[in-house]
Amino acid sequence: MTKVWVIAVREFVATVFTKGFIIGLLVVPVLGAIVALVMPRLFANRDFLIEGQVAIIDSTGVVARRAGEGMAERRSATAISAIVDRARAGGANNAIIDAISSTTRLTLVERGASTDVEQAKLWLNEEELGGARHVALIVVHGDAVSPSAGEATFGSYDLYVPPRQDDRIEIAVQSVMRDAIIDARVAARGLDRDELTSLTTVPRVDSVTIGADGERDTVFGVGFIVPIVFMSLLIIGVMFGGQGLLTTTVEEKSNRVIEVLLSAVSPVELMGGKLLGHMGISLLAMSLYLGMGLTVLAAFSLFGELDLLLILYLLIFFLISFFTIGSLMMAIGAAVNDMREAQSLMMPLMFVMMVPWFLMMPIARDPNSTLAVVVSFVPPLNSFGMLLRLGSSTPPAAWQVWLSIGVGAAAAYGALWMAAKVFRVGLLMFGKPPDLKTLIRWVRAA
Amino acid sequence: MQTGDAAIEVRGVTKTFGALTAVERLDLTIPRGGIYGFIGPNGAGKTTTIRMIMSILLPDAGELRVLGHASALEAKDRIGYLPEERGVYRKMKVAAYLTYIARLKGLPERGLNDRVRAAIERIGLTGVENKRCEELSKGMSQKIQFLAAIIHEPDLLILDEPFSGLDPVSTRLLREQILAEHRRGATVLFSTHVMPQAEEICDHVVMIHRGRKVLDDPVHTILRPQDSRVLRFETLEPRADVNAVRALPEVEGCTAADGGYEVRLREGADAARAMGSVVAAVPVARIELKRPSLEDVFVGIVAGSEGGQDAGERAA
Repeated sequence: MTKVWVIAVREFVATVFTKGFIIGLLVVPVLGAIVALVMPRLFANRDFLIEGQVAIIDSTGVVARRAGEGMAERRSATAISAIVDRARAGGANNAIIDAISSTTRLTLVERGASTDVEQAKLWLNEEELGGARHVALIVVHGDAVSPSAGEATFGSYDLYVPPRQDDRIEIAVQSVMRDAIIDARVAARGLDRDELTSLTTVPRVDSVTIGADGERDTVFGVGFIVPIVFMSLLIIGVMFGGQGLLTTTVEEKSNRVIEVLLSAVSPVELMGGKLLGHMGISLLAMSLYLGMGLTVLAAFSLFGELDLLLILYLLIFFLISFFTIGSLMMAIGAAVNDMREAQSLMMPLMFVMMVPWFLMMPIARDPNSTLAVVVSFVPPLNSFGMLLRLGSSTPPAAWQVWLSIGVGAAAAYGALWMAAKVFRVGLLMFGKPPDLKTLIRWVRAA
Repeated sequence: MQTGDAAIEVRGVTKTFGALTAVERLDLTIPRGGIYGFIGPNGAGKTTTIRMIMSILLPDAGELRVLGHASALEAKDRIGYLPEERGVYRKMKVAAYLTYIARLKGLPERGLNDRVRAAIERIGLTGVENKRCEELSKGMSQKIQFLAAIIHEPDLLILDEPFSGLDPVSTRLLREQILAEHRRGATVLFSTHVMPQAEEICDHVVMIHRGRKVLDDPVHTILRPQDSRVLRFETLEPRADVNAVRALPEVEGCTAADGGYEVRLREGADAARAMGSVVAAVPVARIELKRPSLEDVFVGIVAGSEGGQDAGERAA
């Protein structure tokens, strides 16, 4: 045990006190900050301009004028702000808010009510040198403002657009038309639109969460984000340790220091020490990230959103997946001569590590779906899947958790057993890197 | 020899790699306190044997005992090992590397730094303690690797090609260090291709060829003169006229060889009297009955074996 400890300490110190580790440690929060702060600004559509000509054939005689006024009104930032507020209060989704909050420079081109619609459609694909683009053709139904005799329902309008056009233009046009038709209908009945809007609008309220530690404003999305953050932490921890195990083993082999080590310790002691050392490195990285996350939660008084038992589960599932993935990566390191050769053997393992990212959203959205349950019992994915489910608002039954831990622990033991055999044989093998068949032979022979 | 007296005992050990038999039914006993040379051509099975002795490889058949234990794993802290394929942690500082290896060899923390510093000083590398290993020259790195093998004052020192890549000065220093370890009481086994070094350092030589032991004798026995009809002498003057020697009645022929001369005596000639005649005929710096060198023995065994194999192949 003493020698295992000596190896573990060296691995830990040799990795942690390097610039590479510190830079690697900073990469994740820096990337996180970029995603949180910079990306929304990069993707913001504040510079998007909705511009072009909209042709309208209005058989009601009243909608076109109001649509023209609506388009003119939307040239003012103040008016857009009011429209956005009204849409938000009405429960409009983000895509609509996004479109109608863009700067709008639409102009209306009125066609006579008797204009042939088929001829008018050709206009959409006509190019106008130096002029505005033709972005829509609207044909307002005759019963859009007042229902036809004997009918209870209103008509609407037909909308024609040219190909390859940004969706936001259509959303803006529809927003203008919606307001124009409602205004016309309200006016036709002698009602006041503002009063009607006031009567039919109930502002969305912010809920208050009542917890054991007090009450606070509800923050939407925390319950969804927490399991994703924990699963990301798990992946980061496993990859941190696994990558370190791979590179240090390859380094020891290519530096030819491996035989010196094997003269002092057994392969099992060497493997144990390396696993322990890199487990410590991963735990350090995860603790730092977790500490930062908890600090953020505490700063926004959201600590109560976190079930502290999740940290224990994170540790358990980290150990399981670290020993599974880490030992396999170390075996790969022992089997090859350099990092270039390691790449081909790493491919299947890297693919497995990509899978949790793809499954993250479906499992987080529906933690008790068949997919989520199946993934919870398939190693080495079970750790990631189960942790996601445990962090969700509807955690799985206890038997599922224990079964997943049992399956994971068995897989970790199997991976360690196989890796130990490959490790022992591979360490002193130089030359052509082994293929899968050779690796299996090593496992059988050792 | 009793089992308890042996530092290494190998009995009927065989190791194969696929179709290749690297070592075949090898028997070997190295007594405690001995200094043994382990020689053989490339691919003879020396490194495989050493790795089996170190329990880095496991034999397919046979038994090994090291320092009285059934496996070197049980006595690793008492064994110093310098492998043929050796290296250091390139980014690690020299003193840190030696301290690390010493810890792995079970040395206590107390006095460890002083021990490392003294060892570095002893091998003439004072001042390199805080250098990274990658900053060392190849020779310096070899010395540090040797220090790593002896830092814990082992009872058994196994060195696989310790002199490869060293300049003459470093070779001499390393040879002195090996002999110093032997004087301290360590049993030494080292493999080499350099026959004069084996002759100079070892008291016993084991040779294997194609995985089988073909020689296992004390050096003085191996180098004992085999033929009393060949004399070897060196003249005082480099350009001395040796025609007087050729004219001696006991002499059948005299030819220049390896910076001196070899004299073949006639059938029935008395070697001692002939030596006196040669000395009288020409001023000599040195004269002796010709002894075989270890290299002659080595080449003779390898060539004989290959000749035999060729003949066998032809017969087949």
